[in-house]
Amino acid sequence: MFTEFFYTLRQVGVPVSPTSFLTLQKALSGGLINSVDDFYISARAILIKSERYFDLFDQVFAHYFKGIELADPAGVDLAEAARALLDSWLSDPQAIANALGVDEESLSKMSPEELIEYFLERLKEQTEAHHGGGKWIGTGGTSPVGHSGYHPGGMRVGGRSRNKSAVKVAMDRRYRDYSQQAPLTRHHMGEALKRLRNMVPFGPKDKVDVDETIYRTMKNGGEIELIFNRSLRDKLKIILAIDNGGWSMDPYIDILQSLFDYSRSQFKDLKVYFFHNTIYDYLWADPQRRSKPHSVDELVKIDPETRFIIVGDASMAPYEIMATDGSIHIEERSGKPSLERLRFLSSTFRHSAWLNPKPADEWPYTRTVNVIRQIFPMFEITLDGLDKMATHLMSKN
Amino acid sequence: MNVEEDKKIFSEASQYVLDKELAKIVNISMSLEMPLLLKGEPGTGKTMLAYAIAESLKMPLIVLNVKSSMKLIDALYQYDTLTRLNDSRFGDSTRNVSNIEEYIKMAKIGQAFVANERTILLIDEIDKADTDFQDDMLDVLDQMEFDILEIDKTIKTKHRPVIIITSNAKKDLSDPFLGRCNFHHIAFPEPDMMREIVQVHFPSISQDLLEASVNTFYRLRNFNEVEKKPATRELINWVRALRADPDFKVKELIKGNIPYLGILFKKSPDYAVAQKSVSRFRL
Repeated sequence: MFTEFFYTLRQVGVPVSPTSFLTLQKALSGGLINSVDDFYISARAILIKSERYFDLFDQVFAHYFKGIELADPAGVDLAEAARALLDSWLSDPQAIANALGVDEESLSKMSPEELIEYFLERLKEQTEAHHGGGKWIGTGGTSPVGHSGYHPGGMRVGGRSRNKSAVKVAMDRRYRDYSQQAPLTRHHMGEALKRLRNMVPFGPKDKVDVDETIYRTMKNGGEIELIFNRSLRDKLKIILAIDNGGWSMDPYIDILQSLFDYSRSQFKDLKVYFFHNTIYDYLWADPQRRSKPHSVDELVKIDPETRFIIVGDASMAPYEIMATDGSIHIEERSGKPSLERLRFLSSTFRHSAWLNPKPADEWPYTRTVNVIRQIFPMFEITLDGLDKMATHLMSKN
Repeated sequence: MNVEEDKKIFSEASQYVLDKELAKIVNISMSLEMPLLLKGEPGTGKTMLAYAIAESLKMPLIVLNVKSSMKLIDALYQYDTLTRLNDSRFGDSTRNVSNIEEYIKMAKIGQAFVANERTILLIDEIDKADTDFQDDMLDVLDQMEFDILEIDKTIKTKHRPVIIITSNAKKDLSDPFLGRCNFHHIAFPEPDMMREIVQVHFPSISQDLLEASVNTFYRLRNFNEVEKKPATRELINWVRALRADPDFKVKELIKGNIPYLGILFKKSPDYAVAQKSVSRFRL
C-alpha cells in the first residue's frame, strides 16, 4: 500500500528507507491507523528522521492524498520549473523559516502549488526586467520570489528572470545539497578526526586500577591494597590557523565552517587564529584580523607538543612568501620573509600539518603550494586526507 | 505484539500538556515497539514527556542520563570486582565468592531489561555521547539482549521497555541509528499552548498574570541577538518567581518593568542584551 507515496517521497529527495516503509506497513496491518490524520502522523514519525524534511513531507502528503498537483499544466517547461522550484524551496528549511518570518500565517498555509502558482503568475505577468518593488520577480524588492530581495530566503531566480534560468538555479541548489561532492558533513569529519586524541591521566586519583590492586593484594599475601589511578582525559592541545582572507578561499567556506564547528565542539583545548594567504609576524585571534594580534614569536611559549594545523589553499603570488616585505597588507612590514616564519613554526611544533581545501591533483601547478609542501606535510580536506593528517599528527616522531 | 500491553494508551498526564499528535506518535511507537527519538530546543519538555508517559500509564520509569565519557557497558551492567575481592579476603558476606553472578549489578538499560513489568526507559541527551556509544546501543536495543562477558550469560528482555530517546541536536546522529527510531521534533509551543502549559503548572494563576507573563515572554524571545533564548522551562521558573514575590504587581509587568531577568537569560552577554532592550519597553 502507498508504494507510490513512498516513491514520491524519494523522488523529491526525502531520504526514506525501505525498512521504515515496511515498519509503516506493519503499523497499517496492525490496525493502528484508522484515519488519514492517523496515517499522516504515523507516517511522518516512522518515515521521516529529521525535522528538516517535515515540510517536504507535508507537501508530498498533500499532493498524494488531497490530489494537489505538484506541476503546473501550463507547459512542460513550466511544470519542470515548478517542480524544481518546489524542491529547491523545500530542500532549504532555513529558507522556509526565514520566509515564514516575514508572513508566518499566510505562508505556512501556502501549499506548494500556491507558491508555484504565485511564482508562475509573476512570471507570466512580467514582461520586462524589474528590480525593486513588492511584486515582480527581479533583483531587490520584497516579493518572495526573485533574488537579493527583502525576502532573504525567497526563491532565487537567476539574473534573467525567465523560467529556464529558474530551473537552472533551482536545480543547482537542489543538487548541491545531495550530491556526493557535497562538503564533508560534521559526522564524516568526526569519524576522520576521531584519532586526534591524546588520552593522558588527569585529575584526582579516583579510579581503581583493578589489575594493579589484585597484584598488590597478592604480593601482600592476601591483605587488600587498593590502588587508585587518575582517569584518562583527552588533553590534546590544538592550534588551528585558518586562512580566511581574500577571494581565493571563498569556494571553501562551507567546508571550513564544518571543520571549524567540529573542532570547536570536539577539542577541549583549541586555539583558533586567522591569517591571510600566509603567515608573517602576527596571527589574529579575531576573524577580521584587526583587533587581536598574536605575535608569532610568542608561540614558542606554548607547549611544543601542541598540534599545529594550518588551513589554507597555499596559493598566492610567489613574492608573498619569498620576499622580505612580501605581505600584500601594507602594515605588515616585518623584514622577515614568510618562508622563514613558516619554517620557524614547523620547527617549533613538531606535530604540524597544512590542510589544503584544493584537490591534491591541482597542487603541483601552483608554485607556492610546492614551496609550502616542503615545509609542512600537506593534506587534502577529504575523508582520506583528514584521516592521514590525524595519523601523521598522532605519530610518535 | 503483546495484546494486553497494547491496551495501555497514553492520553494525558497531570503536569504535562500533551498535543494530540505527540500522543499518537507515542502510542504508535509503543505498539510498534520502536524507540522514539525526540528532538527540539532545550527546555521544551522532551524529558518531561517520559515522566508524563510513566505517570499516565503507571509504568516505572528508568532514566539513563548519558554522559560524554560513557561507554555502553556502563549503561548495561557493572561487575563489582572490589566487593568480590573484599569478600574473598574477609569471607564474612552472605555472597558466594565463586559465583561471579552475585557481583554483577545491572545498570540502567540492564534494569529495564530484567524488570518484571514493562518499564519506560528514558535515554536522555544521547547526543552527548560519541557515535560509538550510539551505534553499540543500537544493536542492544534492536536485539533486546546483551551479553555479560564475565559470566558468559545473555540477558534478554522480559518485557520490551518503551524507549524514549532525547537529543538536543548538537551533533548529528548516525543514519543507521535514526533508521531504527521513530522521530518527532517538538516545536516551540505557540502562545495559546504556552498559556495552557503555564496553567497546568500553576492551576491557581490569575488570568492577568497569565496573559501578561506569556505575552512578555514571547516578546523577550524575539530578541535576535540573544544566544540562548528562554524556553518553557525558564518561563515556568520565572512565573514561579513572580508569584513568590509579594511585592510584585502585574501592572508593572504590563508597563514594561520586568523583574528577575536572570531567570530567563542565563548567559551574561544575553542578560546584558535583554536588560538593554527591556529598558526600551518602558518608553
